[in-house]
Amino acid sequence: MIEFKNVGLVYPNGTEGLKNVNVKINDGEFVVIVGLSGAGKSTFIRSINRLVTPTSGELLVDSEDILEYRGGDLRKLRTKVGMIFQNYNLVKRTNVLKNVLAGRLGHTGTLRSILNLYKKEDVGLAYESLQRVNIADKLYNRADELSGGQQQRVSIARVLTQKPSYILADEPVASLDPPTSHQVMTYLKKINKEDNITTIVNLHFIDMAMEYADRIIGMRAGEVVFDGPVSEVSEKTFEEIYGRSIREDDMVGGADES
Amino acid sequence: MTKKEEQLTITKAPSIYPAKTKTQVSIILFAVIAFYLYSMYRAQDEMVGGIGSALTNMWSVMVKFFPPNFNVVSAIMPAMAETIQMAIIATTVAAILTVPLALLSARNIATFKPIYFIFRTFLNILRTIPDLVLAVLFVGMFGIGVFPGILALIIFSLGILAKLISETIEAVDMNPLEAIRASGGNTLQVISYGLVPQVLPQFTSFVLYVFEINIRASVVLGLVGAGGIGLILDQQIGFYNYPNAMTIIIVIFVVVIAIEYISNKIREALI
Repeated sequence: MIEFKNVGLVYPNGTEGLKNVNVKINDGEFVVIVGLSGAGKSTFIRSINRLVTPTSGELLVDSEDILEYRGGDLRKLRTKVGMIFQNYNLVKRTNVLKNVLAGRLGHTGTLRSILNLYKKEDVGLAYESLQRVNIADKLYNRADELSGGQQQRVSIARVLTQKPSYILADEPVASLDPPTSHQVMTYLKKINKEDNITTIVNLHFIDMAMEYADRIIGMRAGEVVFDGPVSEVSEKTFEEIYGRSIREDDMVGGADES
Repeated sequence: MTKKEEQLTITKAPSIYPAKTKTQVSIILFAVIAFYLYSMYRAQDEMVGGIGSALTNMWSVMVKFFPPNFNVVSAIMPAMAETIQMAIIATTVAAILTVPLALLSARNIATFKPIYFIFRTFLNILRTIPDLVLAVLFVGMFGIGVFPGILALIIFSLGILAKLISETIEAVDMNPLEAIRASGGNTLQVISYGLVPQVLPQFTSFVLYVFEINIRASVVLGLVGAGGIGLILDQQIGFYNYPNAMTIIIVIFVVVIAIEYISNKIREALI
């Protein structure tokens, strides 16, 4: 369970990333955070694995305040919170398998990992994760030889290899075309259901949020302005979250093609 | 599209640079040319007999170098090998020492500012000392021989390598590093997984490049007594034995060209 208690974050330049956020995310939920760019979606998500550090309040992950964490504790937190990025963030010159194995780093000793001495189970797990996202045939390809959608699937496999309890996805489909976007979202949803991994996704496409989310959290200017199950959400809700009327480019479309 | 329209767009085309920039650049260009002409004139002024006599002098010196005495080739080979060995040892040691130095003087890795600042400054100081000065210093400390030469080369190439590589590190894509940090990797794992694959080709390329520089530099260092073929060359010129000196120069030339060719091929394959 993840719980934000009066969490606030002020960046060194004075920008307020989060303002008095109170949110409770239950185990196994598929939560989509929506909001315009600059609304604080990324800051929200990155607070959970402490890529950014909130400056006030409490943030509980499995009933422990992670804002106190440093060094070893922080790495332990990050091993159980997997993250998927907009730009996939793979090491481009390295092959797919090794990229996926990077997900095991938190569980592997420094010397072992530097010398590439992975346990057999770990390599097996990495291969299995690649199979789950249907890209095991690209095992030895260099990451930069893959298309965007394939790279994002590899990064999902990397997260799976981590065996996390939580998955954070920061705009995972913002650089992809509509059909590929749906494919990636479908994998995320499937993993959420099959492994019961709590998943939090940042999206700015309305139709996509509606299609995949169990619950939607709307953010504007660092504040949570809406929080409820997807059944309570209508176009009106989005207009309130975005603070303007809904336009065509807020939709990704292409739901039927995939 | 009609012809009339085409002409219209042409008459409207603005010049690529603003008029003001054009004048400024032209003035600077003329100033530079004038400076060259003036210094040519002055330089000739101080020469006894002017350019013509200088050319005759050059000719009479050149003639003394020919024909080169190729009988000594086998005798100078060990010294040439020594020069290459010096360069190999110095480059290897420098390449190893560079790794921590380059990491600590890269702004994106050494996030703690004072550390970055200290190592950056240290590298800058290292690079301001000319290799010849280093060699003279070490020859004074350890006596004539290979060891002071190697030491001078290590420090000289460390300065170049660490600077080049720390700049490569700073230009690296930080996103994969963030991803590895986000999956629970510690600093060493982040570096070895996210950073090393990104800089390895450039690293190898720079090491080869510094190796080439070291071969040439070690010849010069030999002149001040730091071992290798430069030492022999200096001796032969000292004895006015120009045909022997010419052979040495030819041997150096061939070796440097060969090494440059090989390392260029390797670098092409890498990048």
